[in-house]
Amino acid sequence: MRVLSRCGRLLAFLAAMTAYGHRPASAATHFLVVEGRGGTQVYTERFRDQVERLLPALRRTAGDEALVRVVAGVEATSAQVKAALEEIARAVVPGDDLAVFLIGHGSYDGRSYKFNIPGPDFTDGQLKAWLDAVPAARQLVVSTTSSSGGALETLKSARRVVITATKNGRERNATVFGQYWVEAFSAASADTDKNESISALEAFRYAEDRVKSHYADNKRLATEHPQIQGDLAGAFLLARLGSAAALARDPERRGLLAQREELERRIADLALRKDDMPQNEYLDALQDLLLQLAGLQQRIVAGDTETK
Amino acid sequence: MNLGIKARLAACLLLVSLSAAYGQRGSERGVRSAELEPCDLHHDRGRMAEADACYAGVLASEHAAAKAEASWMLGDFKAANDRFREAVSLDPEKPDLRVRWGYLYIESHQESEAAQLFEEALELDEDHVPAMLGMARVLASRFDGKAVELAAKALEKRSEQAEAHLLLGRMALEEGDLEAARKSLEQGLANARDLGIAPLEAYSLLASLEMLEGDPDNEWVSKALEYNPRYGQVYAEQAHFYVIIRRYRKATERLRRAVGVAPRLWRAHAELGVNLMREGLDEEGRRHLEIAYSGDPYSAKTVNTLRLLDNYHRFETHESEPVEGAKWPRAILRLDRDEADLLLPYAMDLTLRALDDFSERYGFELREPVRVEMYPNHDDFAVRTMAMPGIGLLGVTFGYVVAMDSPSGRKPGEFHWGTTLWHELAHVFTLEATDHLVPRWYSEGISMYEEWRADPRWGETVTPEYINAVRKGNLLPVADLDRGFIRPRFAGQVAISYMQAGYICRLVAERWGEGALVDLLRGFAAGRPTEANIRAVLGVAPEEFDEQFGEYMKEELGPAHDGLERWRLNLKTALEAAREKDWEAVLEPAREAQAAFPQHVGLGCSYLLLASAHEESGRRREAIEQLQEYERRGGRQPETLKKLAGWLEEAGLAEEAVYTYEGLLLNWPQDEEVHARLGELHLAADRADLARREFEAVLTLDPLDRALAEYDLARAYVTIGDSDKARLHVLRALERAPTYMPALQLLLKVKR
Repeated sequence: MRVLSRCGRLLAFLAAMTAYGHRPASAATHFLVVEGRGGTQVYTERFRDQVERLLPALRRTAGDEALVRVVAGVEATSAQVKAALEEIARAVVPGDDLAVFLIGHGSYDGRSYKFNIPGPDFTDGQLKAWLDAVPAARQLVVSTTSSSGGALETLKSARRVVITATKNGRERNATVFGQYWVEAFSAASADTDKNESISALEAFRYAEDRVKSHYADNKRLATEHPQIQGDLAGAFLLARLGSAAALARDPERRGLLAQREELERRIADLALRKDDMPQNEYLDALQDLLLQLAGLQQRIVAGDTETK
Repeated sequence: MNLGIKARLAACLLLVSLSAAYGQRGSERGVRSAELEPCDLHHDRGRMAEADACYAGVLASEHAAAKAEASWMLGDFKAANDRFREAVSLDPEKPDLRVRWGYLYIESHQESEAAQLFEEALELDEDHVPAMLGMARVLASRFDGKAVELAAKALEKRSEQAEAHLLLGRMALEEGDLEAARKSLEQGLANARDLGIAPLEAYSLLASLEMLEGDPDNEWVSKALEYNPRYGQVYAEQAHFYVIIRRYRKATERLRRAVGVAPRLWRAHAELGVNLMREGLDEEGRRHLEIAYSGDPYSAKTVNTLRLLDNYHRFETHESEPVEGAKWPRAILRLDRDEADLLLPYAMDLTLRALDDFSERYGFELREPVRVEMYPNHDDFAVRTMAMPGIGLLGVTFGYVVAMDSPSGRKPGEFHWGTTLWHELAHVFTLEATDHLVPRWYSEGISMYEEWRADPRWGETVTPEYINAVRKGNLLPVADLDRGFIRPRFAGQVAISYMQAGYICRLVAERWGEGALVDLLRGFAAGRPTEANIRAVLGVAPEEFDEQFGEYMKEELGPAHDGLERWRLNLKTALEAAREKDWEAVLEPAREAQAAFPQHVGLGCSYLLLASAHEESGRRREAIEQLQEYERRGGRQPETLKKLAGWLEEAGLAEEAVYTYEGLLLNWPQDEEVHARLGELHLAADRADLARREFEAVLTLDPLDRALAEYDLARAYVTIGDSDKARLHVLRALERAPTYMPALQLLLKVKR
């Protein structure tokens, strides 16, 4: 498990906030959700429920239902998953992103991770080949399955964030990560930077925290240790809460939002120097920047678009 | 195991050839080689240099068993073990070898392996008396009631022996039955003399008996030391019995004498180390444990306790605020560093509240600070409290030192740390106010009673097992109640005895007044035994008291006294209906079950079923009533109580929600949401200082949503009027979440 210091977490939050300002306004995120085989009624129902809870949030974020594809049930074969990714590969335009969610069971034979689906399972190697063929600017792959950590090495890429429920392929027990991952999409407490949006990093942190509590509270030895790989997770927007969606789409406010991003960047820079400054000096400087931000934020919310 | 005729014959021949050894150390604990006899004579008389030289000579013996015994006596347990293994492989059908090997395991603290060897010996010869007695000794060391049966059986097989009498006498002493103990011990001593066995164990036990009668330095101590001037075991034995009756300081004094007389008595050093720690003297304790380890590295007790001491750097100690004029703080808390910030305010508050309450009501002023240690790792707690008889221990009091699990040491709902701490702190008073003379039943009874008295939600609740014990007449007479704690005769007797003791104290308080509880305590402090104390304070004979208690218990149990069957059947029906989610069908049987056994608040109880049925049918008010009753009667599932508090909030019953949330903190304080909700309610009710405490608790739990927690704390400081702290915390919130509007608005108010 990757462990960030408190200061590291703070910087990651700030970095995340400033990062998604760099995307072209027209860029889209393509989502693919794959629901694997449950094996038993309990798991089949559980996976279906997770997918059903995930879809509305993704559709809201994508802003276009056509950008959210689902492969589930008896149709969730290797060929169908490949076909869906090929379709996305044809649809993406420069700047678009791709997010893939694998919900179900997985296995690991010491060499390859396999995602359990009707018919032959697909391997991490196959998935990598299909993903590499999608010319998205950034990719996010989330596998909530047992043994999913077995795919980390294979799926590694500079433009890809990989999130798995387990730290390696040998953690073979059924996982609880998926239920908390899905929960994060609508949990206000997952929005730790209070920008009314949930990034992949925030969702991961939320799910990781809940998984840890789940095992600790039940005094059970943890059989899953969620992992995150790649540096872009803070910038990967997954869900918008409250008024964030409307604000983001409003071209009138873009100037103010750009100013806000600039202030946020300065706050992040200040935080980098925190340890080298006397506390009072740091707090005064922080207060100064935040008061500017407060004024700006009030204008954004009020719809005052005049740039001052 | 089948024994062939040839093997039996071989065993008989060997027995004859070794029979000359009968009469020495190993005689009644398995036959030993005659070669050891002269060495044993030196050893038993304390001539250690001569004994060691003699045993060293036996190492050249051609008999593996003799070499094993000699190695053992020279302290080389590993060589002894190897030689016993060799001897048994050469003569696998001789039970005495396995018995002797078993005793080696007892001496090296591996009772389970010893029991296995005694069992093997009994498979070879089911009437083998030394094997029976070996097994009885192992069971006795575990305070298992079957030890008495086995020792009695051994006595039936062979009446002319000392060992069984001494073992029975030892067990009677542990149970406090001094009369029976004297009879057994005197017979054991007479038989030892007749059989030419060294009388040292008999002397030690008789010395302990007279010590328990009030004369620690009696003639038997002198006789033991005359027989063997290096026989420190006589003091160590006395210390063992002092520990049983929780007179730890006295035990320490005896153990100091033991190691003074016998510096190589490693067990006594280990006991002394553990006992010093019970008095809070950790460093001196460590010194003795290290001495013990240097001579006996096989003791898990020594090794584990040393490891625990090494881990104490992970703990923090916190003293209570000094009281004017006092020389020392009233309370010192030792908490794990990772949870000290969270627990300290609650644990200190509760500790001081208990000390005030008990000091006033029992008229006893503490003479030292009370030290409370809370262990998040149950194994650490177990090491701290080992060798204590009892079941499922959650906390132990050694006098001014209390050790207990911390709430994080167990699953949510499994352990109510608040009531446990209260229980243990009551022991501090019953033990210290009587110089530890209080019998165990009374100390436990007072602690149980005090839990119930402090809060209806605290303390143990009546179980079906207890009701059955009442109905079947399985409760012990008050005069014998200690027996139920020390060596239970049936499964669950310890738990039943706790409950009985608690109800006895409640009966006394209700019928004779709380002053009678204090008078009984004073009677025990004056050395009065239970029977005499009951007569003197309550003015009734113990038998009459037992009768009154039986009637009282029937009244207290109410419908549950005769309602268990009705409860069981109806609860089963209600649970089945609940499984099918047929909520209307749940109602009638659940109500019936509740009427039959209203005290039941365990898993799947009628209150939870009815609450679910009402909630699912849209009757929230009735659901709340059920859960409130569940809470009032001691129901403890944190998730259920949290749900209740949430419902109360939704219903606008804020103060009732506060009551439930406050209760939850003493049950499962690790829940961020409970602290946050409670903080919010306190803030809304203008109790900003309490709100601050709750929001600070949230921060100690390293919340995922730290910005919100910092912002909440800032709000509390604004209400308190501390704008500097409010500014600091709101800046911390915004540092993480710069666009967090409510925090930005608050910053505008508190900015410099």
